[in-house]
Amino acid sequence: MKQAIYGLILYLFLMLPPVIALSESIMVVHMHMQMPLLVIVGLLFTPYLKRRFPSFFENWNHNGVPGIVLFMIIIIYWMIPRTMDEALTIPTIEIFKFISLPILAGIPLRDSWNKLNNLRKNIIFISLILLSGIMAWLYIATPTQLCNNYLLAEQKALGWTFLLTGLCLFIYFVQNLFIKGYSLEESENE
Amino acid sequence: MIKNKNTISLCIVILFGFILFFMGTDGFQAFTAESARTLKLVEEQPVFPEVTLEDSKGNIYPFSEFKGKYVMITFVYTTCTTVCPELEMNLFNVYNQVPEKYIGEDLVFLSISFDPERDDVETLEKYRHFFGSDGETWRMARVPNVQELQSLLDEFGVIVIPDKQGNFTHNSAFYLVNPQGTLIDVMDYQKVDEAASKLLSILKREEGDTE
Repeated sequence: MKQAIYGLILYLFLMLPPVIALSESIMVVHMHMQMPLLVIVGLLFTPYLKRRFPSFFENWNHNGVPGIVLFMIIIIYWMIPRTMDEALTIPTIEIFKFISLPILAGIPLRDSWNKLNNLRKNIIFISLILLSGIMAWLYIATPTQLCNNYLLAEQKALGWTFLLTGLCLFIYFVQNLFIKGYSLEESENE
Repeated sequence: MIKNKNTISLCIVILFGFILFFMGTDGFQAFTAESARTLKLVEEQPVFPEVTLEDSKGNIYPFSEFKGKYVMITFVYTTCTTVCPELEMNLFNVYNQVPEKYIGEDLVFLSISFDPERDDVETLEKYRHFFGSDGETWRMARVPNVQELQSLLDEFGVIVIPDKQGNFTHNSAFYLVNPQGTLIDVMDYQKVDEAASKLLSILKREEGDTE
């Protein structure tokens, strides 16, 4: 319950108009702060929702694959340069961002993660690392603007942060392979 | 039973993903807002708004001066050091690929500055020299009235963001306006040959119609 309340506070905070304006004025903050924080809102809601609707998660996301696929779809969708532009110019897309990232990415991620076996976890890790790498290359190497609402320099900065993200994921992934007995188990019983 | 539901939800998720990407990219065609914009412009075909131009020779005239001719347009600012010179060089290459008989008669080239404050007549005249434009069949002009300029930029979807160092980040393309003053095509400025051959086929078709 406590986690859900923290999640709600964070959610409402992110929805404050000045916070929205600030976080969307800088491209890197938009992509690497606001969006991940919205996913975290979803992560925080998950234990509460799982207690309320245990059979829903057990039935419809039994082996975790549907959930993690949904998570990947949503985050890849938000990596398309166009969606980021449209979130700024089309209100419906902006609302969809605030709904999709917590509910369709955060919640399924936390529900699915512990249900996945190691092979599937590794596949997700590798896909995320590759994705970050591709996005880094795309944003750094493109000479033209990908997002009409942001300056070219910001676009390059975003590329470098993608590279950093990918690198961090890679380091985490590699150390996981060597350090035995890791688990990302979360305490469901607060 | 549980296994079934799991499979069903996976199918739903994949279907949802497909629909989401299909809708979000206009049927896998437009992955950036810029490509979505050009796709929409070509569909909508907006009319060039009535604006007053001032060119590098100091002549002042309304856009309707070009009535009856195709106009190939770019939007630039002269202090730009990145995209604009490339854009103008490419326009120059397109200009050179079009047979002389069409130039000036059926087709005019026009570079419009969206920085009227700094791009006065002398600056435009200097800029014109850099790119070897003759100032007549390829004109460099500014829109002195800020409101008119903004309405033009809005109509054609040109987004100009000033940065703090006196430069602008902006989207670039070749815009083709037909003799009736309607925007009929937005072309990739990096594909010179493609733009030139497109232009040529349009001009030839026009010629065939009038003969």
